Amino acid sequence: MNSEMLYALRDVAGVPSHPIVFLLLGVLTFALHIAAVQVMLGATALVLANAFSRNPMRRRLAAAMTTTAKIAVSVAVVLGVAPLLFVQVTYDPFWYTSNVLSAWWVIGFILLLIAAYMALYFFYSRNHHLEDPRQDARSGWSLVAALALFLVVGFIMHVLTQQMLSPEKWMAWYAPNGVIDPSGRTLHDYNLWRFGFFIALAAPVSGAWLFAYRRYLGAGQLADAAYLQWVGRLAGRMLHVGGVIALALFAGWMSTLPANIASFATSPVVLLSVALLLLTVLLPALLGPRTLNSSLGYAPFALGAVALIAVAALREVLRWTVLKGVHGYDVFTYPVHMDWYSNVLFFATFALIGGSTLAYFLAVAWKVGQTPKGQIYTPSPFIDRIGTASLWLIGVWIVQFFVVGFVVWAR
Amino acid sequence: MDWVGLYPTWYEPGVGSGWVVGIMATIHVLASHTSVGAAILFAYLAVIAYRRNQPQLLDYIRQYGMFLLVFSYVIGSITGPGIWYSTTVASPRGISALIHSFVWKWATEWVFFVIEVVGVYLVIYLVGRVDQRTHMRIAVIFGLASYTTMLIILGILSFMMVPGKEAWFTEGGYLNGFYGANTFAQLAMRTAFMFTMTAVVGGIVAARITDPRFKREITRKLAWLGIVSSLTGAALFQWYLRTLPETAHLVMDNRLPSYFQPAIVTVLLGILAYFVMTLLSSRTLVVWGASVATVSILVLGLWPEEVARESIRKPWVAGQYVYSNQVIGRDVPGMHIKSELPLLEAHGFLKSQVFVPDNLRVVTPDNMLKVGESLALTTCSNCHSLSDTGMRPLHRYFGGTGNVAEVENYLRGALSTGATLYMPMIPLKPEEAEALAVFIVNMKQPQAALAHIQHKAALAQTGAQPLSSPAAQTFEVR
Repeated sequence: MNSEMLYALRDVAGVPSHPIVFLLLGVLTFALHIAAVQVMLGATALVLANAFSRNPMRRRLAAAMTTTAKIAVSVAVVLGVAPLLFVQVTYDPFWYTSNVLSAWWVIGFILLLIAAYMALYFFYSRNHHLEDPRQDARSGWSLVAALALFLVVGFIMHVLTQQMLSPEKWMAWYAPNGVIDPSGRTLHDYNLWRFGFFIALAAPVSGAWLFAYRRYLGAGQLADAAYLQWVGRLAGRMLHVGGVIALALFAGWMSTLPANIASFATSPVVLLSVALLLLTVLLPALLGPRTLNSSLGYAPFALGAVALIAVAALREVLRWTVLKGVHGYDVFTYPVHMDWYSNVLFFATFALIGGSTLAYFLAVAWKVGQTPKGQIYTPSPFIDRIGTASLWLIGVWIVQFFVVGFVVWAR
Repeated sequence: MDWVGLYPTWYEPGVGSGWVVGIMATIHVLASHTSVGAAILFAYLAVIAYRRNQPQLLDYIRQYGMFLLVFSYVIGSITGPGIWYSTTVASPRGISALIHSFVWKWATEWVFFVIEVVGVYLVIYLVGRVDQRTHMRIAVIFGLASYTTMLIILGILSFMMVPGKEAWFTEGGYLNGFYGANTFAQLAMRTAFMFTMTAVVGGIVAARITDPRFKREITRKLAWLGIVSSLTGAALFQWYLRTLPETAHLVMDNRLPSYFQPAIVTVLLGILAYFVMTLLSSRTLVVWGASVATVSILVLGLWPEEVARESIRKPWVAGQYVYSNQVIGRDVPGMHIKSELPLLEAHGFLKSQVFVPDNLRVVTPDNMLKVGESLALTTCSNCHSLSDTGMRPLHRYFGGTGNVAEVENYLRGALSTGATLYMPMIPLKPEEAEALAVFIVNMKQPQAALAHIQHKAALAQTGAQPLSSPAAQTFEVR
C-alpha cells in the first residue's frame, strides 16, 4: 500500500478546519475518555475485590465503587464519542480500513459493551444493600462478566487502533494469498505491551481517584478516621504498585517500535509523559497528610489527568510518526475547505454552554453530596446565576438554530 | 494513474451488512427518541409538580428516569456510536461523507450529549435533595439540551436523503447542506412521533404505579400525549413526503415492499386504539401490554420506516453524490468533489480500485469467477446479498438464468449507462461485465458458468477471440 493509494482513500470533501485543530481536540477528548475508562475498570475491579468480604470498610468501598463504575461507564461512552469523531476526520483512510478488516468484531464491540454494561447494572440491582456486611453479596458472576467484557471491548479497540498503523499488511489481511476474505472475522494485529500499559494505568488512575474520594468524604465529614486512613493506604498502594507496573509495560511498548522510529522512545513527548506519570505516583507521598486535610487531596487526580493528556499526545505523535515516517502519509496535507459558521458554533457551544452548564451541574452535585442526608440543599446566588445563564444560553442556541435555518431555507 | 479510493468490503452472508445497520439504527431510534421525549416530559412534569405541589409526579420522573438509564442511556447511548460503527464497516464512504461535512455539528451535539448524560443522573437522584426551583431548572436544562441533540442530528439525516438546498452542489457550505424543507419537515414529524414513543414506553413504568388515583392521572397524561402526537405525526408525515425528491417517490411507488404501507397504518391505528383504551380505563395499562406496544412500534413502525428511508434514497447513500456502492457518482463543484465515473469508465474497477489483489487485476479464464466475486462485493453487495438470505439477494434479479451473455448484456447496457433509476451507474469494462455475469450465473447455475469459463479458456488457447467477449455475441451455455 503506497502513499498514493493512502491519499486516494481520503474523503473527497476535505476537512472544514486545519487538521491540527482536530488532532488537538482528539488528544484532549481521548485523555478524558481514557481517564473515565480507567476509573471504570479500576472501580469495577475494586468492587470485585471487596464486595464479598465481611469487613465493613471494604463493603462500604465496594458500594461506593459500584455507583462510581456505573456512572463511569456512561461517562466513558459519551466522552468516547468525541475522539471517535475526530479520528474519522483526520485518519479516515486508516480507521475505516482497519474497521472493515475486522468488521465482525466492530459490531461485536457494541453488543459486548451493552452486555457488559447490563451485567454491571444487574449486579447493582441485585445488591442494593452491599454496604451492609451482614448481607451476602449476590450474583458475583455478573460482576466478573462485566469486568471480563470491558477488557474484551478494550482489546477490540486496541486492535483497531493498532491495525491502522500497518497499511503494508492490509492487503495480505484482506486477501490472504490473493483470495479475498470479506468476512471481517479476524483480529489481525495487537501489541500486548501497549494494551497492557493502558489497562495497567487503571490502577494508578483509580488510586488517584481514591485520594480524591477520601478528601471528598473528609471535607464533608462523611466518614470516620479509620475508613479514611484505610482508603488512603489502599490508594497509595494502587498508585505505587500500579504505577510501576504501568511504566514497565510502557517501556516494553517502546521497545517494540519499528527500528526506523526507535528514537521516538526518547523523544521529548515520551520523557514528559513518563515524568508526569512518575510525579503523579510520587505526589501523595510528597503532600503527606495534606491529601486529607486540604484541597490538595484532589491534586493527584488532577495531575494524573494532565499526565493522561501527555500520554494521549504521545499516542497521537506516535501515530503521526509511524504514518509519516514509515508510510509517507502526512495528515497535515488534508485539503481544508474552511467553514467558519460551524467552527464558531462549535467552539462557542463548547466553551459557553458546555462550560457553564457542566459547571452548574457539577457544583450542585458536589454541594448536594456534602449536604447531610435529610437536608435540602439550596444553591448560593452565584451558583444560581450560573444555572440561569446556562438556561438562557441553551435557549438562545435553539433560537439561533431556527432563525438561521429559516433564513437559509427561505433564501 | 489516479486511484479510486474504495475501501475493502465487509460482507455478512446471513442478513447482509445493510440490515446490520438497519437493526442498529432501529433500536437506537426507539431508545433515543424516547429519551429526548422523556426529557421534555420530565421538564413539564417537574414544573407542574412544583406549581401544584404534587411530589408524586417527581416520583414518577425518578422511576421513569431509572428505567431510561438502562433503556436509553445504556442501549441508546451505545447504539448511537453503534450506528457509526456499523455504517463504518458497511458503508465507510457514506459515513465519511457525513462526518466530513458535519463534523462540527456532531461535535456540537456531543457537548449536549455530555450535558444530557450528567443531567439525567441529576434529575433522577436530586429529587428531594435540592430545593424545588433548582430541581425544576435542572429538569428544564436537561429537556432543552436533549432536544438540541435531535435538532442537530435531523439536519444530518436529511442530508443523507438530499442536501438542504440545491445551491449546496454549486456553492457548498455547511448551512446549504444542513437546512432545507426536508430538514424541517422531518424534524417536525419526528418530534411528534418521539412523544408517541415516550408515551408508550412511559406506560411500562406507569403500569407499576400502585396508587389507583395517581396511576389514572399519569395514564391519562400519557394517553393524551400519545393520541395527539400520533395524529400530529401522521399529518406531518404527509408534509415530509412532499419534501422528498422526485426519485424517492418513484422508488417508493415501485420498489418498497408491499407490507410497508399496511404495516405503518396498522401500527398507527393500533397505537391509537391502545391509547384510547388506556384513556378510558387506566386498569388496562399493564406492563406486558405496554411492552407489547413498545415492541410493536419497534418492529412494525420503526423497522419498515428505517428500511424505507434506506430504500428511497437509492441510488445514493449520502448527499446525492455518494452512490450506495460507495463510488462518487456526481460532481459537486461547491465542495471541489469530482465524480469518479470518468476514471472508472477509462480504466475500470479492477485497474483503478485500491483494494484489489494483484492476481485479480487482469481477467483470465482461471480467475474469472474470483474476479466476478470481487466485483460483486464491490459494486453489488452493499444493497444485494450474495447468498440466498438477507437483503435483496442478487440472484433473484436474474431469475436463475444460465445465460451469461444475457446477464452481461444487462450489465453493459442498463447498468453501465446508469439507465436504471434506482441503481448506481456502474461503468464496467467489457471483461469486468463478463466476469461479474459469470459470477451471477454461477450462483444458481454453476454448470453454466463453468461451461462459459471453459469455452473462454479454449478460445484463449487457440487465440480465436480476445479475452473480453462482445456482449452482442451471445451463446447459450446451458
